[in-house]
Amino acid sequence: MTGTLLQVEKIEVVYKRVITAVQGVTLAVPERQIVALLGTNGAGKTTTLRAISGFLGIDDARVTEGRIAFQGEAVENRPPHEIAGRGVVLVPEREKVFPNLTVAENLIAPVPRAASKAEQRRQEEIVFHFFPRLAELRARIGGLLSGGERQMLAIAAALMCRPQLLLIDELSLGLAPVVVGDLARRLIAIRDELGIAILLVEQSAATALEIADYAYVMENGRVVLDGDRARLKGHQDVQEFYLGQSGGTGGERRSYRDVKQYRRSRRWYG
Amino acid sequence: MQLFVNIVVLASIYALIACGYVLIYRVSRVLNLAHGELMMLGAYAVLATASLFSGHPVMALVAAVVLSLVVGVLVYVFLMRKMTGEMVLAAILTTVALGILIRGIVVLVWSAQQQYPAQALGLPNPSLVLPGGGHISMWSAVLVGTNVFVYTALLGFLRFGRWGMRMRAAGQNPLLAAQRGINLHGVYALAWSLSTLTGALAGILMALDSGLTATMPVIGLKAFPAALVGGLDSLVGALVGALIVAAAEVLLIYYVDPLLSDVVPFLVLVAMLIVRPWGLFGTREELDRV
Ligand SMILES: Nc1ncnc2c1ncn2[C@@H]1O[C@H](COP(=O)(O)OP(=O)(O)OP(=O)(O)O)[C@@H](O)[C@H]1O
Ligand SMILES: [Mg+2]
Repeated sequence: MTGTLLQVEKIEVVYKRVITAVQGVTLAVPERQIVALLGTNGAGKTTTLRAISGFLGIDDARVTEGRIAFQGEAVENRPPHEIAGRGVVLVPEREKVFPNLTVAENLIAPVPRAASKAEQRRQEEIVFHFFPRLAELRARIGGLLSGGERQMLAIAAALMCRPQLLLIDELSLGLAPVVVGDLARRLIAIRDELGIAILLVEQSAATALEIADYAYVMENGRVVLDGDRARLKGHQDVQEFYLGQSGGTGGERRSYRDVKQYRRSRRWYG
Repeated sequence: MQLFVNIVVLASIYALIACGYVLIYRVSRVLNLAHGELMMLGAYAVLATASLFSGHPVMALVAAVVLSLVVGVLVYVFLMRKMTGEMVLAAILTTVALGILIRGIVVLVWSAQQQYPAQALGLPNPSLVLPGGGHISMWSAVLVGTNVFVYTALLGFLRFGRWGMRMRAAGQNPLLAAQRGINLHGVYALAWSLSTLTGALAGILMALDSGLTATMPVIGLKAFPAALVGGLDSLVGALVGALIVAAAEVLLIYYVDPLLSDVVPFLVLVAMLIVRPWGLFGTREELDRV
């Protein structure tokens, strides 16, 4: 078996010192694998990805417990540019391209790890190989791209940072099914050809389970279910999850957590 | 003709100062209200370096400019760095405090009396006659040339330079910039150092032209409307804004009353705010972030 690239262990993420958004989440991304993170709205998927890729002071968020290890080194609560420099690059849910920069500028503006111009050009060629459409759009302003083109540019710009692990938040948000299928195929090609591991957050469990090797299901800030593709596809709760309904046990868990959160915040206000 | 020369010189002064406001605002949405004071500090630094490198005026000037650049970085590292990603208002208030501090230090060290850095350096300031019949002092001419050079260099740098691109990216979306591996501290420190550098150039050249007192920050404040008229996040806008403010000021002084001098930039600003609150070149949505 291949080694573990990213190990998230029992992390707790707190916003504004009182709002606990993620609690005791444990997950692992092995090398060269695509791992999906599923869950309903507000389950804490974005928070988990953001915790991995680092918060800015303005987010007023912290990993208060647990550990995040990338290649064996602790990286929790490090600034985003350092995480990106280590090879973990996030494609965020919203605002994923620089609207006033051209496509070409969006691609070359960051490149934290490229040493030389030649290296940068080679990286650009690799990116255009996966997304030939972007080569045609080079001079277009980022803000004028369509949703699908924007998502392509966001993934391409992340690739320019030469990541070892790509974090993608909501691959299919607002995109036509044809485009999503197309993007999913390219992600597999990127994984196969570049050996990059991918942690993917998805609304559509169907899409995610099409391409992921392994998946976690989150609910109310916790991982409630995980397993490889075959297991999850057959799981009854996932069927319910497709429909956006959670079972009876989920409801109980929620109310129990609400009580706990209430006590926690009282400590701060009192 | 002389009116035209005066407008160009004043516009260059305002433009050279205004680009400092724009650089910092553009990358971090912070108004640096200590810009006038930092500019003055650069001018006073010439007095210090003049005695240090007596007999080598060029060395003294270069040293003063380098010193201002270092001051810019230090201000960022020790004062503004903690403010990164915090409330913009807190950062702006910090610059106000910094400005008061610098004014105090300058008066303490150099007294409030008028000083002449050009004399300290042993440099002349002859009046040049222009082809059209107008006059311009040598240091004013140097200032106009410096301004042209600074704007050309800055625009080229922001457009094509790797770090210039990063500055634009960080200005648009700091979080995304950081997530792509751009070190925001590096970008902000660069903006602060470029801003104090250009400010100091303006301060030094003005002081060489017409002497120096601790009231110089007033000029820095008068250049602020120029930046704001242009939209505060646009260099070209600052250039045009400077031209408008300078033209209004020179013409009103000439045809109406010299006492208007200190008021005109703010009159232009108020008129502008009524007609186009987001500035000539600024974008509408930038407004709510001020
Ligand atoms: N900046 C913030 N400040 C306070 N609470 C937040 C913040 N961001 C998210 N939350 C809260 O954290 C919880 C998890 O949010 P998160 O965005 O991680 O969910 P998600 O699984 O990505 O949802 P979606 O599928 O809608 O994107 C939510 O209850 C949300 O209200
Ligand atoms: Mg989300």
